[in-house]
Amino acid sequence: MHAVEDVSFTLRRGEFVGLVGESGSGKSTLGFAITRLSKPPAAITAGRILFDGTDVASIEDEPLRRQRQGGFAMVLQSGMNALNPVRRIRDHFGDIFAAHGHVPADRRDERMRELVGKVKLDPSVLDRYPGELSGGMRQRVSIALALSLEPQLMVFDEPTTALDVLVQHAVMETIRELQRDVGFTAILISHDLGTVLESAERVLVMHEGRIVEDGPSRRVLEAPEDEYTRMLLSHYADPRAEVVSLPGMEEAAVRRARGTTRAQDAVAEPTVGTRQRRAERAVVAEGLTMTYPPRRRGEEPIRAVQDVSFTLEPGGSLALVGASGSGKSTIAKMLTGVERPTSGTVRFGDLDIGRLKRRELRTLHRDVQMVFQDPYAALNPLHTVEYTLTRPVENFTGLTGSAVRRRVLELLETVGLNPVEQFAAKLPHQLSGGQRQRVVIARALASDPQVIIADEPVSMLDVSLRAGVLALLEDLRERWGVSLLYITHDLLSARLITDRILVLNQGRVVERGATDEVLRAPGDEYTVRLLDAVPDPRRAGMV
Amino acid sequence: MLRFAGTILSNGKARIGAAILGLFLLIGIFAPLLSPYDPNANDFAGGEGASAAHWLGTTAAGEDVLSQLLHGAQVSLLVGLVAGGLSTVVAVLIGLSWGYLRGFTAEAINFVVNLFLVIPGLPLMIVLAAYLQGGGLIMIIAVVVITGWAWGARVLRSQTQSLRSRDFVTAAVFSGERPSRIVFREILPNMLSLIVGSFFGAATAAILAESGLSYLGLGDTSTISWGTMLFWAQNSNALLTGQWALLFAPGLCIALLATSLTLINFGVDGISNPRLREGKDAR
Repeated sequence: MHAVEDVSFTLRRGEFVGLVGESGSGKSTLGFAITRLSKPPAAITAGRILFDGTDVASIEDEPLRRQRQGGFAMVLQSGMNALNPVRRIRDHFGDIFAAHGHVPADRRDERMRELVGKVKLDPSVLDRYPGELSGGMRQRVSIALALSLEPQLMVFDEPTTALDVLVQHAVMETIRELQRDVGFTAILISHDLGTVLESAERVLVMHEGRIVEDGPSRRVLEAPEDEYTRMLLSHYADPRAEVVSLPGMEEAAVRRARGTTRAQDAVAEPTVGTRQRRAERAVVAEGLTMTYPPRRRGEEPIRAVQDVSFTLEPGGSLALVGASGSGKSTIAKMLTGVERPTSGTVRFGDLDIGRLKRRELRTLHRDVQMVFQDPYAALNPLHTVEYTLTRPVENFTGLTGSAVRRRVLELLETVGLNPVEQFAAKLPHQLSGGQRQRVVIARALASDPQVIIADEPVSMLDVSLRAGVLALLEDLRERWGVSLLYITHDLLSARLITDRILVLNQGRVVERGATDEVLRAPGDEYTVRLLDAVPDPRRAGMV
Repeated sequence: MLRFAGTILSNGKARIGAAILGLFLLIGIFAPLLSPYDPNANDFAGGEGASAAHWLGTTAAGEDVLSQLLHGAQVSLLVGLVAGGLSTVVAVLIGLSWGYLRGFTAEAINFVVNLFLVIPGLPLMIVLAAYLQGGGLIMIIAVVVITGWAWGARVLRSQTQSLRSRDFVTAAVFSGERPSRIVFREILPNMLSLIVGSFFGAATAAILAESGLSYLGLGDTSTISWGTMLFWAQNSNALLTGQWALLFAPGLCIALLATSLTLINFGVDGISNPRLREGKDAR
């Protein structure tokens, strides 16, 4: 298999280049090849990589190790997990200085302080263990470690993807400033065209192993040459805009204003008939509070959720937004009965969810279903799609025999997995991320629920697949009359598919209201920060 | 089942192990046909060395060693498969429910398992065997199962706990599945390689335990097994009289059988992973 094919480009010294592509485009393979980190069975079958005139592939092991100092370095997506948990940050720097001996022993301490200062950390982190630092701080440390070798070329492979939205923004800012001050050549590998356009001066777009676009950021933004780049760009929008739309998706409020729904647009498809009842009962949370006992004695208890109240009307859509740690997933757990609130109540119709017994939860799950964040973890790798969908149908609908199979195929049809017979027989690893997420949605629909709770359903998917899954969710809500609770950190998608919004910061509601009004005129400083964190290529012009 | 066999056999080491095990199985099944004499016949001259009539010589009591060796395979295989299988079943039942349940039940199981883990295995085995004297093979199997399940249960429990927090298990709860079905249809298939591995491990331990107990004279000394052969050889000071084959032959067989099971264990990794399986097919 050729992961990368016939790719040629030249980097000038001191240039900041972005390498963009979706999963499987070969961007990381290329990054690994450049820094000589590819592992067998990967091999360069043709072509050369010249760094300062020497062929990278021909460097022997020992010279390769030595040239890591002053040569090229790489910062990985999981770089923050690459620190040894039982050694202090100081020791990590010490190891590198000892291995290369490029800093005299009496200057090492000073140099460490200087390096952590460059990534905006306090020198006191040097004496702490990785476990005592947050994800963002650890990623900064790993950048400082790479920097300690004074590389001429730094490759950042998705350096912020595993971090919280607000932290992502700050870390990217640091990388940009560093590159400007220190002047190393930088390659930023990312799946997110928005982030790259914001930071890099030049952009390479990869698609199926080839470079399809190569040009200055501004030019790529304003006049993209390739069809694929245009498609990627079309998936960005500013959630603050008057009207927001993505390919195949229009803002809910706008459609309603026009008086048409998607269902009418699409003519009545046969799947509409499978819906047996519309949502009748509301989900009402009152004074919901969740407190976890402190991790260590003497510390304050953790208040995950504090006094949150809201109502999800039957057939309505509500977005719960916030950065990680804002308590939005904890609320989902309480709504589904997985956890019980410390105080406050959450009701579904006349059911008090917080007081249900284990057996009664089964009844609840007939009506309240969940779509999970990670489609790669939410399906049992050993069961076929058909088995996965058959179970809830048998458990909840009372259908038997061939009716079950008919229903399963109907569900696949509803979520757009055609040809249904073929998809029914597949195992999860034979499906793409987007297809898996559709199976997960189909499973949530199998019991014919009234409420669907979607916890970051698109955050693990490629940008081009997101719109499809979002459109499906929106479609289901309108045609099937399901209520939708949409949990996300991504305000753009919230704007597209929800009517009402609740902004959470550290377990408290800081803002609420109609989605378009709140996002067009945010009242709270935290909402503004979340809005700023949405990557937007159009901002690139300002850099 | 066939698929599993194919997966295991795609590993070179496992193929060697399976070949050895297969050989022993054939020997065990066809022992009555293969052996030149009745293994209980003791009317030959005692304590003879190897000869054309008796390839491995005769015992002090005047029995043919080769015939005993061939028949002895039956006992070792039977104990290995039955006791190994039974202790794996116990380990799976206890380990999985222990790992999935929370609260008081889990605590209670925890106590019992820890109890079995801290009691030294060999002394317990000896005490039990002495207490159940005269039970024959069934007694030996019971002793091996009682002393052998706890470790497997512990390993399976920790794997169950890590699988329990996966999204697909939560999703199964949302699909209305009952706990027993979640444990046995969602979680268990994902740890099949671990279970098969623990079966081969338990079978090896059972074979070694049977030989050990028989060698100590704690089994029924009139049954013919490799362990009792060693027991009688030791009793008659076979090494002093130069009949090394009497000790060496059953000892080597025990070691070979145990090795074969260990080798097969190298091949079980692919069982729970459809991706690994396909990777193999493609090559």
